[in-house]
Amino acid sequence: MPIEKSDLLQGTLDLLILKIVALGPVHGYGISQRIRQISKEVLQVQQGSLYPALHRLEKRGWLEAEWGQSSNGREAKFYKLSAKGRKQLASEESNWHRLAGAVSQILQTAS
Amino acid sequence: MSWWKFLLPKRASGTQLDSEMRFHIDELTEANIARGMPPSEARRRALLEFGGQEQVKEEVRDVYRVRVIDGTVANLKSAIRFIRKTPSFSVAVILTLALGIGANSAVFSAIDAILLRPLPFPDGDQLMKLTEYDSKAQASQPFIAPLRVEDWNRLNSTCQAVAGYYIENASEISGVLPEKLTLAIVTPRFLNLLGISPELGRDFNSEEEHFGGPNAVLISDRLWHRRFAADPEVIGKRVVLSGFLRPDLIVGVLPASFRFPDSDVDLWTVGPPDGPYAQNRGYTWYRVIARLRAGVTLEQARANLNAVQSQLGKQYPKTDGNLTIEVRPLKETIVAGARSSLWMLFGAVSLLLLIACTNIVALLLARGVQRQHEISVRLSLGASRFTVVCQLLTESFVLALTGALLGLFIAGAASNVFRSLAKELPRVEEIHLDVRIVLYTLACSVLATLLCGLLPAIRGTRGNLSGTLAQASRSQVSARTPLQWFLVGVQVALAVTLLSGAGLLLRSFQELGRVFPGFDPGHVLTFRISGSYGETVDWKALTQRIDRTIEELRSVPGVEAAAASATLPGVPTNYPTELRFVEGEQDPLRKMVAESRFVTPDYFATMHIPLLAGEVCREPQFGTVPSTLSPTGQILEPISINVLVNRSFAETFPGGSTILGRHVQVLDNSFLKPDEAGEIRGVVGDAREEGVNHPPSPTVYWCLGAPGGPDPAYLVRTGVDPTAMASALRSKIKQIEPARSVFDVMPLEEHVNDAFSENRLRAILLTFFALTAVSLACIGLYGTLSYSVTVRRREVGLRLALGALQGQIVRRFLLQGLAVTFLGCAAGWGLAAGFTRVLSGMLYGVSPSDIVTLSTVALLMLLVAALAALIPSLRAAHVDPMQVLREE
Repeated sequence: MPIEKSDLLQGTLDLLILKIVALGPVHGYGISQRIRQISKEVLQVQQGSLYPALHRLEKRGWLEAEWGQSSNGREAKFYKLSAKGRKQLASEESNWHRLAGAVSQILQTAS
Repeated sequence: MSWWKFLLPKRASGTQLDSEMRFHIDELTEANIARGMPPSEARRRALLEFGGQEQVKEEVRDVYRVRVIDGTVANLKSAIRFIRKTPSFSVAVILTLALGIGANSAVFSAIDAILLRPLPFPDGDQLMKLTEYDSKAQASQPFIAPLRVEDWNRLNSTCQAVAGYYIENASEISGVLPEKLTLAIVTPRFLNLLGISPELGRDFNSEEEHFGGPNAVLISDRLWHRRFAADPEVIGKRVVLSGFLRPDLIVGVLPASFRFPDSDVDLWTVGPPDGPYAQNRGYTWYRVIARLRAGVTLEQARANLNAVQSQLGKQYPKTDGNLTIEVRPLKETIVAGARSSLWMLFGAVSLLLLIACTNIVALLLARGVQRQHEISVRLSLGASRFTVVCQLLTESFVLALTGALLGLFIAGAASNVFRSLAKELPRVEEIHLDVRIVLYTLACSVLATLLCGLLPAIRGTRGNLSGTLAQASRSQVSARTPLQWFLVGVQVALAVTLLSGAGLLLRSFQELGRVFPGFDPGHVLTFRISGSYGETVDWKALTQRIDRTIEELRSVPGVEAAAASATLPGVPTNYPTELRFVEGEQDPLRKMVAESRFVTPDYFATMHIPLLAGEVCREPQFGTVPSTLSPTGQILEPISINVLVNRSFAETFPGGSTILGRHVQVLDNSFLKPDEAGEIRGVVGDAREEGVNHPPSPTVYWCLGAPGGPDPAYLVRTGVDPTAMASALRSKIKQIEPARSVFDVMPLEEHVNDAFSENRLRAILLTFFALTAVSLACIGLYGTLSYSVTVRRREVGLRLALGALQGQIVRRFLLQGLAVTFLGCAAGWGLAAGFTRVLSGMLYGVSPSDIVTLSTVALLMLLVAALAALIPSLRAAHVDPMQVLREE
């Protein structure tokens, strides 16, 4: 069952975007496709939240954007990670692991 | 990426976002086509999957919107709405702040112009004043010999230039009546040193700076307008001055802003340093200024100039041996006297502003209680506390800003009043409102916002939301308002502080009025008659002229006595001189320092100073002495000088009855020949010559025919109102001295009062501020008590219904108000102890902790507070119990 946007933990979308972008410059469409592929269709990002999130991250200086040619030769806006974004990704990743670890700990102990 | 995209603003422009989304939809469409859909269906599905494009755009735009500005604009709008909805409240707040900020800005504008700004000359901070210190006489000498000025200028290495000036009065006689003008005689370099060039024409040229060269004058902008109607062709015209020095040709007009050395100087002329009269190192007349070289400190200049002077001391041990040079910033010497008064007033207006703010805090707190419901609703609807505090602060800010703008007008008006009241203050003509004052006023309004708004805003937004919402205010029995009462107490305390200061200053005046000065200033008219120092070449002729003038004045009907004196009695002037007795043993350890006064023999009869022993002095005889100044090699000089001493002198310096007939000699010889001495002919009563607020010091009266030079002050005792005699006396002088002008015509009493004009100014202003403070505190008390009565109406109604008497209710509220006032007074006494210490140098005859003044102030405050508290208390007693209970 695909998980819709509203079910995503707040801040998770930012983490996912940063992680995908960390793999190399990519445009908005590419990001949504990759999240879907990598999560094996579990996570589907609504464009309605993807683009505001991208622009928010860009404004914060975690992403840098540049216009370039897509693989089929069209003009597309490519996002890549800034130095600041890389730090942010590292800290959010470790936060996530701590949180996930804690949650699963509770689930195991309490069952 | 194309280079020009750098030029675009960083935010996503609409077209960029459009193409970004278009690309996404196109990619989706192609993916669908790849899956085998027909193109139109593929596009439809892609659009569907992407969702609402407008919504995305809106959300992206939200990312870039600057929320702060939007929030502020919304806050401002709501603040203005709030102010318009509550006009009387807002007007009260705005007016209170306008008064507080206006008074503050007005005093600040004076402080800024007088104390903070550099003098109105280029690099004014490099300008220094130089004086001599005579280590033998242990006295500072403001006047410097022209030769020494030239030596200092030539030999030092730390100053760009050293120059001198002195002022004398001159008569300009080309008009119908002789006009008295003020003439400044300056050394070469004077204008250059100050960094000023003439508005019109030129500075003096080198020919004019030499003895025997053409006489030239620079005129003031005032004189140019007054006498020459601002004629651009004025250069080359002439002014005709009576007397020996005759500077004639107008070579330039100085700018209107140039008022140095004094604001009433009309003419500047150059005194040639090579003139024969300027070749004596003992003849001192210039006041001296210097401009430091760039980067030179005061200490370096002091060290360097003193090295120069000690070298001169070796060269001329007799005249220069004991001298050192004192260097002080010129600005300091001009403004130092006004400093303590100005800061005291600034402290007072700051307290006033604080009281105004406290008053407003109380008002806002009361209002906050009324708005609690509104605020709770907003908080429960999800507004953050920060947002609500911001909104409340914006309201305060709009109020404060409006108040500040209004205050700026008040400050403008107030500084005009200040300028006319405070004519005696230095640089007072430089006070005006400018950008700095506007900025200061704005800063005041921001400060006032924080002072007034922060506490009510924080308090208004705290507490239990649901509680407030659920609770109907009507079920409350009584509201506690301890914070408001505390604020009232603070206002009372601050008002009592100011009132104590004002009370002490007023008491000082009262004390001064009671002092018997030792002379009788009533019914005496004073004036001067112009004369030139050139006349001092022939002292005998000068003496005869002044004698004749006094004789003629005495012959005018209605005149009882007439005399001349170098200085006016009761107007602060000091001339300490070190003396020694010619006869008898001297106590080598005891220095004999006394004030010197120069008077004609009739002075004592005219001023009603009693002769206690001996006889009245006589004018000196004249004898011929050799002199290099005269072409004949001889001049007439006064010999066999008489002196009178006052009682303090006779008591301080031993001699008793034998003091009569002894001779005194001046040690640091500046006005007598070294071997000359004055014979003590008598002892007179003590008079407060140096100012009514100074106890008399030992004084020697030198009886001279021409006391203090060619234009002494004439003192005429009249039988009737002295001002009524002015024209009769003037026309008499016109008869005998048609080429001389009469000026400074004023009753002596006014001179004596004017000596206290600065004291009077600060007493008036402080009293005004204190009364304003008391009114504000009473308004605060009245408002808080009224509010308390309104809130407790139901409680009062219940009490009355249960049998309480109206008198009890009144007493209850009244006592509450008075208790707070009393505590405020007590705290105010504590504060006053600190504040009045600042005043201690300005008081006369009262101690800063004068118990009579402090008690009177507290009583006055309690009385006024009782009146302010009575009205709301009475209203409380007239609550109708039935009506209140029915409201339930």
